[in-house]
Amino acid sequence: MIRVATALAKREFTRFLRQPQRVVGAIAQPLMFWLFLGAGMGNNFKPPGLAQMSYFEYFYPGVMVMMMLFSSIFACITIIEDRDAGFLQGVLVAPVHRLGIVLGKVAGAVMIALVQVVLFSVAAPFLGLHLSLGSVVLLLLGFVLTGMGFASLGFLLAWGSRTTSGFHAIMMVLLFPLWMLSGALFPVIGAPMWLDVVMHANPVFHALNIIRAPFYGAPADLLGNGGYLTSLGVTVVWVVLSMTLSIKRVAKRERSLAAA
Amino acid sequence: MIDIQDLTHVYPGGRKVGPRKALDSLTLSVREGEFAILSGPNGSGKSTLFRILCGLALPGSGSVRIDGIDLFAEPARVRRVLGVVFQNPAVDKQLSVAENIRLHADLYGISGPEFTARRDEALAWTDLSDRLDQKVETLSGGLARQVELAKVLMTRPRVLLLDEPTTGLDPSSRRNFLDALHRVQRERGMTILMTSHVFSEAEDVDRVAVMKDGRLLAYDSPQALKARIGTEMVVVQPDDAEAFAETLRVELGLAVRRHGDELRLEETENGEGLPMLERILERYRPRIRSISIKQPDLEDVFVHVTSRAVPDHAQAPETGKEAGR
Repeated sequence: MIRVATALAKREFTRFLRQPQRVVGAIAQPLMFWLFLGAGMGNNFKPPGLAQMSYFEYFYPGVMVMMMLFSSIFACITIIEDRDAGFLQGVLVAPVHRLGIVLGKVAGAVMIALVQVVLFSVAAPFLGLHLSLGSVVLLLLGFVLTGMGFASLGFLLAWGSRTTSGFHAIMMVLLFPLWMLSGALFPVIGAPMWLDVVMHANPVFHALNIIRAPFYGAPADLLGNGGYLTSLGVTVVWVVLSMTLSIKRVAKRERSLAAA
Repeated sequence: MIDIQDLTHVYPGGRKVGPRKALDSLTLSVREGEFAILSGPNGSGKSTLFRILCGLALPGSGSVRIDGIDLFAEPARVRRVLGVVFQNPAVDKQLSVAENIRLHADLYGISGPEFTARRDEALAWTDLSDRLDQKVETLSGGLARQVELAKVLMTRPRVLLLDEPTTGLDPSSRRNFLDALHRVQRERGMTILMTSHVFSEAEDVDRVAVMKDGRLLAYDSPQALKARIGTEMVVVQPDDAEAFAETLRVELGLAVRRHGDELRLEETENGEGLPMLERILERYRPRIRSISIKQPDLEDVFVHVTSRAVPDHAQAPETGKEAGR
């Protein structure tokens, strides 16, 4: 099963590298978001808790999450393309565990996302953020979990979509708002009560937490911190849940109407 | 090996189109080591049956056992003995030929020297040997199909399902592919079920099934099917068709049909063809360029069988089916 997943993930990555426009698009868009919003908001917009922090810095982990989101959207669109092209049915009839199929796609998407966020991490020292080795490990864990969460949720949604445009619409009304309400753009502190509840129920909020935290806390402190551990737990549950549902979805066969 | 019992599949339909019965109590079995061809007019339910057999769809009722395993209860076990060639090649166009084959080998757990040997064997009949590093999207449709066929043969399935696999192949690669398929089937005792519209492909298989409206109209060896029409014809090519037709009519009292410059004496009962041929040859030899007895081919059988409304085993097809399309 691992071998199947590796082979499928490798394919995913090879395809990514062979589409330069996809590489550029996936990195350039979040980067532009970060630069433009950071520059524009920097001086005019100081919400509570942001006093000593530039908006560039505040928004930085949020952009990382956005990169993970976008690369999983792109990766999951290929599910629909694969089905149209006929490739997918070849995989479905192969004697492989359905988890291998889901894992292959998810691992491919995570690898692609990792390349992007790791490249983007180069900016960290310029923001005055320095990471210890332990923090890097926690940060990578955060990246991998978040990537898996987005990719498997995307997988689930893409599997049921017939067209790429339909899938895009779903992603825009479902996943993009999850990101907006994650605290990536503005902090949860001071938000109205209802929004506060929504934000805390949002798995992306927790994913952002486990990506933001390693920049500011020592690894040992984080692992003893209830808030961090809660977020880690929620993210893991998110991943496991969407993976399980994805496997169920893949194993499901199209049904006939009950014979009359 | 493939046992299909009483299979019924109904597509739910939508707001404007009603449900459509694609398979109607279909029963069919292919014995181990047999090469069977499934044919039928467009919309006869072949593709639906195919999707069910390769485990992508669940029928409303009925059962399918492949190699004795219940396909609906244990699809994972069936996949291990199954090889499938789809109408729409299941290859990744962005990857090279070699990468596609490698990926397929990974899916089926083939590696090491075994992989190299099987790959070379599977590629032997194709025209791909010097194109292994080319991306599949740069290949012609026929060559892309060869990739698909090569990778399926590489997995050496015990049961092979093919959905119109030779579509888009030129005559010589079609011939090469079929030869390879027959060879592999004989060597390994593989069971094959293949849908096809090309009746020349069906001449040397074990059995041919003809479907229409989700039912099986006929299922027999090509010889038996042709015998079903029950006629053979004598075909004569004389020097002067017009004059010779007249001669045969007047002097022998035969019903002659003219096809271009050849004359056909149709509706000859089995066994009567040869004496008739001898009689004609004896009397008119100098006027005849060639003379032969023609057996009806499968295409004739297909038209004959599918144009009848009532299938072999009685029961008129249900009404309202045509409207449901």
